[in-house]
Order: sequence, then C-alpha cells, then structure tokens
Amino acid sequence: MALQSAVKGKLISVIGDEDTCVGFLLGGIGEINKNRHPNFMVVDKNTAVSEIEECFKRFVKRDDIDIILINQNIAEMIRHVIDAHTAPVPSVLEIPSKDHPYDASKDSILRRAKGMFNPEDLVR
Amino acid sequence: MQSDKEEYRSVCDILDKLIVKQIHLMEEKMCSELNIESCINNGSIHLAKSRYIMGQNSVSTSKLPVENSPEFSASTICEGIEEDGLTQFKVAESNAENTVNPLHWFGILVPQNMHKAKNIFQNSINFVVECVNIQVQLIENVKNIVILKKYKSMLNP
Repeated sequence: MALQSAVKGKLISVIGDEDTCVGFLLGGIGEINKNRHPNFMVVDKNTAVSEIEECFKRFVKRDDIDIILINQNIAEMIRHVIDAHTAPVPSVLEIPSKDHPYDASKDSILRRAKGMFNPEDLVR
Repeated sequence: MQSDKEEYRSVCDILDKLIVKQIHLMEEKMCSELNIESCINNGSIHLAKSRYIMGQNSVSTSKLPVENSPEFSASTICEGIEEDGLTQFKVAESNAENTVNPLHWFGILVPQNMHKAKNIFQNSINFVVECVNIQVQLIENVKNIVILKKYKSMLNP
C-alpha cells in the first residue's frame, strides 16, 4: 500500500523563445504574482546569458514553483547552472523548440543516467 | 563467508533490475520528449497561421503581460503527490478567482487557429508533467544505483 500525501498546487514556469512562451502561456500556466513577478521569461537573440542565468536562479529560489521548463538550446547556454541544480524540486525539464529538435545527448538528466552505464563499473 | 557471497549475489541481482529499470525510464523519457516536441511543432504552426491572419506583431511577446500588468493567477497548476517518498505531479485546474483567459491578450475575436494552438499547448502540459514524473523516477533510480554500487564495493565475494 503506497503512502500518499497531497501537497498544495504550485506553478509551472517557462524560460523559452517567443513561440514556446506564447504557447505555454496560452495553455494557462502564466502568472504575475502580487509582487509583480512573472513566472516566465522570453529569450530572444538580444537576451544576455547572465539575464537567463539570473532568471533561472530566481525561479529555483521561489517556493511557489515546482516545475521549470526551459528550451534545450537555452539550457545549453547556462549548462553549468543547470548541471549544478541537483535538488528534486523544482524539477527542471529541458524541452525542444520549433527551431531546435530534442537532442537526448545534451539532456542533463539523461547524461547523468547514462553515466551509470560505465562498463568498468558494471563488470565488477 | 557463505552469507557474504549470497548477499553479494543478491546485491548484483538488484543492481541488474535497477539498470533494466533505468533503460526503460530513459526510453520513456525520450518518447515523452518527442510527444512534447510534436505538440510544440503543431502549436507553433497554428500560431504562425494566426500571425498570417492577424498580422506579424499581433501574436508576439509584446502582447504578453509584463511586470506592470495587473496581477493574475495561473489557471493551470501542478499538484505534487508524495508517493513512498517520491514526488509525482499531476496537472490541476486552479480555483483562484483572478485567473484570465490568455486568448484575450491577443484580441477579442481571435482566429480559430489561436483556439487550436491553445488546446494543443494545454495538451502538451500533460505530456510535460508526465515527462517530469519520469525524470523524478529516473533521478531516484540513479541515486539507488549509486548507493548500491558503493555497498557492493564494500562486500567481499
């Protein structure tokens, strides 16, 4: 018998290109809270990497966010920050965008999971 | 000594099972990502058609709310359920009063394609949450494998 306990609903945030943000906000995940902080960030070619990094860290710190969606090509820009995030919540999901198809070899979680298949470790 | 050998063997058996589970979870995650990809592609086509009908800047970032916009709540949220120490999420409708219809940011009479895009992206949120759940299981499985490998290295077969 599984032990279950429900937790209060939390937000899904998104860091992505124009279409990804417009799309997911159409889906109803967008919010601007009473402190006027949005849970989304649109990244274009003029957005600085430091801004993306700062926004990602801000989303990670917020306790009302459970899932952070980020386009894989944007995740590549701040890979070191994403790799450093190992806490289970908020979960960071790398998603494809219309211009950049999903590449499993770049996905942080899959690379970590593939690391378990080191032949030397398995033989012993 | 015999019990050590048996324990070593049982640890190896469990490790084998965890590795097989790992491969299955990795495959599931990739399938789920491909589902998200096809949703985003389909949704983007409808957004592009809406742009063609309404004008280039009518479906763009400039229409999205900014920090100065009035506050509003998300209509779609995720609920975490703690299941045997593992958090699994599910999509839920928010019961907050100040939710908005996102279509109204783009106008009152928007083309059918915008409605279609909305439905497609709403559907993709389900795939997203499904993918996150697989990812959570995958991370937990990796942790278990690491712990078991450490324990295995301490045993003398």
